[in-house]
Amino acid sequence: MTVLADFDWSYIWEHRDELLHGLRLTLEISAIGIFGAFVVGLTLGAARAHRVPVISQIAAVYVEVIRNTPILVQIFLLFFGLPRLSEHLKFEPFTYAWLAVVIWGGAFNTENFRAGFEAVPKRYREAGLALGFSPFRTFLNITLPIGFRISLPSSINTYISVLKNTALLTAVAIPELTNTALDLLATDFRTWEMLAVLAVTYLTLVWGLSFLIRLLERRLAVPEFT
Amino acid sequence: MINRLPEWAQPVAEYMLHTGLRNTLIIAGTSVFLAVVLGVLLGTLLTIRFLPLQAAIRLYIEVWRGLPIIVTIFILFFGLPTLADELNVEALRLSEIKAAILGLSLWGSAQIAEATRGAVQSIPREQHEAAAALGFRWVGTHVFVILPQALRRLLPPLVSLSVNIIQNSTLAQILGVAELLETAERSTERLSFPTVDPTTLSVEGGDPHALQIYGAVMVIFFLISFPLTRLAAYLERRLV
Repeated sequence: MTVLADFDWSYIWEHRDELLHGLRLTLEISAIGIFGAFVVGLTLGAARAHRVPVISQIAAVYVEVIRNTPILVQIFLLFFGLPRLSEHLKFEPFTYAWLAVVIWGGAFNTENFRAGFEAVPKRYREAGLALGFSPFRTFLNITLPIGFRISLPSSINTYISVLKNTALLTAVAIPELTNTALDLLATDFRTWEMLAVLAVTYLTLVWGLSFLIRLLERRLAVPEFT
Repeated sequence: MINRLPEWAQPVAEYMLHTGLRNTLIIAGTSVFLAVVLGVLLGTLLTIRFLPLQAAIRLYIEVWRGLPIIVTIFILFFGLPTLADELNVEALRLSEIKAAILGLSLWGSAQIAEATRGAVQSIPREQHEAAAALGFRWVGTHVFVILPQALRRLLPPLVSLSVNIIQNSTLAQILGVAELLETAERSTERLSFPTVDPTTLSVEGGDPHALQIYGAVMVIFFLISFPLTRLAAYLERRLV
């Protein structure tokens, strides 16, 4: 097949700087997205599980809205709608980019953490309170470490999705990996070289992450809950 | 209902609902159908203990689940046409909408295959033995005995998958297919150009109304997805 014979490794090598720059941006946005989703999910998940008034209801609406609308529409609304709302909401594209993945991942993670915290048996909490821990201390010392480990598998799936969703930012011209590769493809028509770079990079990242996670899961799984 | 909207919004709403929503539903409907057919088939085959077959299906599942769907769509849309030249198969020259549908179907079928495997394996061994005793062979056993029972367990993931595919049908926008998001984008772009009235020379428009239009797209997707996610949760409680 000439497609295979034509495959030009040197083309990829010559453009390694652009591609690596794109990869860096993908990883940066993913890292911020994963960290943000963790923080948002932990806070709002705890508020949901403990039925903190007002915050819990707002979080419920937030979760339902984000989970029931496409992330690409959320990205468009952020990039093109938000700046029209107020002058103060005009940011750099990069800010919108990480904001979009944090908002998306945070909603899914809120649900993951809520389920995890709610799966912690009530008697554990009661035991903590009986030992004289304040409700907040009880959460910190008992519900959090156990609930976090219960919710680990589902929240990690969310983190992987956050990574994959950064590819959608190509629609709003964020020069991350997908966008960079497509730009090169459109300039030089080295179609398979660029598609191979995309496929191999994303599969390595996603498979690598899920492999790490399975290791972590086995170490962190709570025996009673698996 | 459209008549009650402000004047600028009426043609936009008409375009978005009649062209955009229609294409969104076509993309989503076709993709769900293909994903289910392919996924149930592959998932059932995955329960056969034959290593090369299992390895091949596993690879299929892991690849299409591991890639961002948009990358899959790009591979189909940009990659396959080069093979079309090579092999002289014109069918490989996919249109934008076909590439999007196929990309969503590959991803969806990987999800359904995994769910089907679990559902089929959850059916007790006695059912296989009973079917064998009745004289069914492998295909008959699965089509008439195992899969109808497995369907109960498959229903919740199927509904969730439909929600996911409906939402991800917006990825077709990136290739320029006139689905809901693309019609919304075109509308904001059209509205952002001011128009000059030739008789009075007064300048009108020039406001893309991006917030309202993309907000409307959010609302439409929410109205479709929310009942379905509730249904999936309900089925999950009822059936499992």
